[in-house]
Amino acid sequence: MDTPRGGALRRLTAVARCSSRVWALVGALIAAGAAPGWAQDSADPNPGAVTVTGGVDVLNAYFFRGIPQDDSGVIVWPYGDVGFSLFSGEGGVRSVGANVGMWNSLHTGGAGTDGPSGKLWYESDFYATLGFGFGGGTSLGVTYTAYNSPNGMFGTVKEISVKVAVDDSGALGAASVKPYLVLARELDGQADGGASEGTYLELGIGPGYAGSKANLTFPVKAGLSLGDYYEGPTGDEAFGFFSVGGLVTVPFSSMPTRVGSWNIHGGVEFLMLGDRNEAVYGDSSHVIGSVGIGFTY
Amino acid sequence: MVSMLTVRKGALALVLACTLVLAATPARAQDAPADPNPGALTIVGSFDVLNQYMFRGIQQNNSGVVVWPAVDLGFAVYSGDGGVKSAGLNFGTWNSLHSGNTGSDGPSGKMWYESDFYATVGLGFGGGTSFSATYTAYTSPNSGFTSVREIMFKLAVDDSAHLGKGALKPYVILAQEFGTEVGTGQADGGLSAGTYLELGVAPGYAASNASLAFPVKLGFSLSDYYELAGEDNKFGFFSVAAIATIPLGATTSFGAWNLHGGVEYQALGTTTEFFNGGESSQVIGSIGIGFSY
Repeated sequence: MDTPRGGALRRLTAVARCSSRVWALVGALIAAGAAPGWAQDSADPNPGAVTVTGGVDVLNAYFFRGIPQDDSGVIVWPYGDVGFSLFSGEGGVRSVGANVGMWNSLHTGGAGTDGPSGKLWYESDFYATLGFGFGGGTSLGVTYTAYNSPNGMFGTVKEISVKVAVDDSGALGAASVKPYLVLARELDGQADGGASEGTYLELGIGPGYAGSKANLTFPVKAGLSLGDYYEGPTGDEAFGFFSVGGLVTVPFSSMPTRVGSWNIHGGVEFLMLGDRNEAVYGDSSHVIGSVGIGFTY
Repeated sequence: MVSMLTVRKGALALVLACTLVLAATPARAQDAPADPNPGALTIVGSFDVLNQYMFRGIQQNNSGVVVWPAVDLGFAVYSGDGGVKSAGLNFGTWNSLHSGNTGSDGPSGKMWYESDFYATVGLGFGGGTSFSATYTAYTSPNSGFTSVREIMFKLAVDDSAHLGKGALKPYVILAQEFGTEVGTGQADGGLSAGTYLELGVAPGYAASNASLAFPVKLGFSLSDYYELAGEDNKFGFFSVAAIATIPLGATTSFGAWNLHGGVEYQALGTTTEFFNGGESSQVIGSIGIGFSY
């Protein structure tokens, strides 16, 4: 891996978050954490092999892989991740890491306190990831996620996902697009509430620009069903959604502090839905705004 | 550390304190190549398996296995030589997963019985005295109970500097529930929000290869904490436990890990005996792993 200690772990965090709907925002956090200025700090407050990442985001709407969850009230996403850097070397496998974490979605609207349950805590996900870093900026992560709904708004979904990503910034510099692929298979329960467990494919890129004061990223992604992931009245639809976003992350300080690296981030995402999700939502597109704070230690 | 001790429901919570004691043992510190985490943020976690879960003497399950995953994030906000020696913030989550009657074998069919979130502000003074205030939201993802919100104050004295191995480490806890409706928002499911008092000591012995702790505590209702049939019974429980903590090697770049286990005996009061199916006592066994980084 060509990033400093913790770089692989941060990528793993991104894998997990991808399974937990917030990959874009955390991607911005990751980008901030990987900025050279931060990495060059001579007084690293945490030189060990454990990394902690967390944050709180506030949004106006929540779509999970294009599947509408809530667009009323305020939505708050608190999350935390602990990463263990298990191995780093110069062979074929450059790094190995494990991450465990929790991601939550709190709703004041129809899926939360204003809904039939009357309870705020709509979703709580636990995940565990095993990740490998290879040469050329290539990484592979395998994540098991249990998506739970403490207020009983959906049945528990258990999933295994694989993410392959390439950080091509070493070869392309500022023109890098950082492509990735996510393949997820539901083991029990279903995100679409359909008849059968589904298989999901996501293709995306995460180009961006890292400045001295802020980072900009422009994630683009498409979600597809490889089998029973977007089931509707007319059967399984292959196209789930297309999304493009713009995210800005501003670090609180140019160097890590004794309590890590903190940032404020925000962005806008435009979501175009497939026919199945459009039928559920009642509209073909939606714009999601978000703002939050995050930290890496 | 303070918040983990105050949130965790049983005497076995002291394993974390033992972990930190062991981590601070000079011999081990000298073995470590370098401090893996010299910054101001500390993470403590544990994973325990028990035969029984009693919350301040109140039975929470009567069958199956109980698993407690927990994690705590602490921020050392201040340290100095004045009247206030240290100040810290802690945030954490504590969970209880049940396979028995209040979990996957119960009416919900779901394992996740309890999930607590808490935030603590702690102050350290001279003479080993510490004071902390903790806000906790006790929630039940499988709807085993209604959410309880509570503010808790803890005053503790680490008298080991004066008494050495004879230190008792006494503490007092005062907790107030915020429940507003009959039968909801209260640990006893009673008519009114309760006020809880706990008095305890935590003597122990730390050696290079293991530590032993013998926590003793008493739980009382100062008001409406142990309600039964409209009557508040003041005595909740008496508990005595023995806990062993064994470090898993020296402190490494992954922090300090340990294996711990213990046995706790609880003698129950009138209300808690009723909740315990008419049995006046309960024996709790546990084993787990923990880490501090």
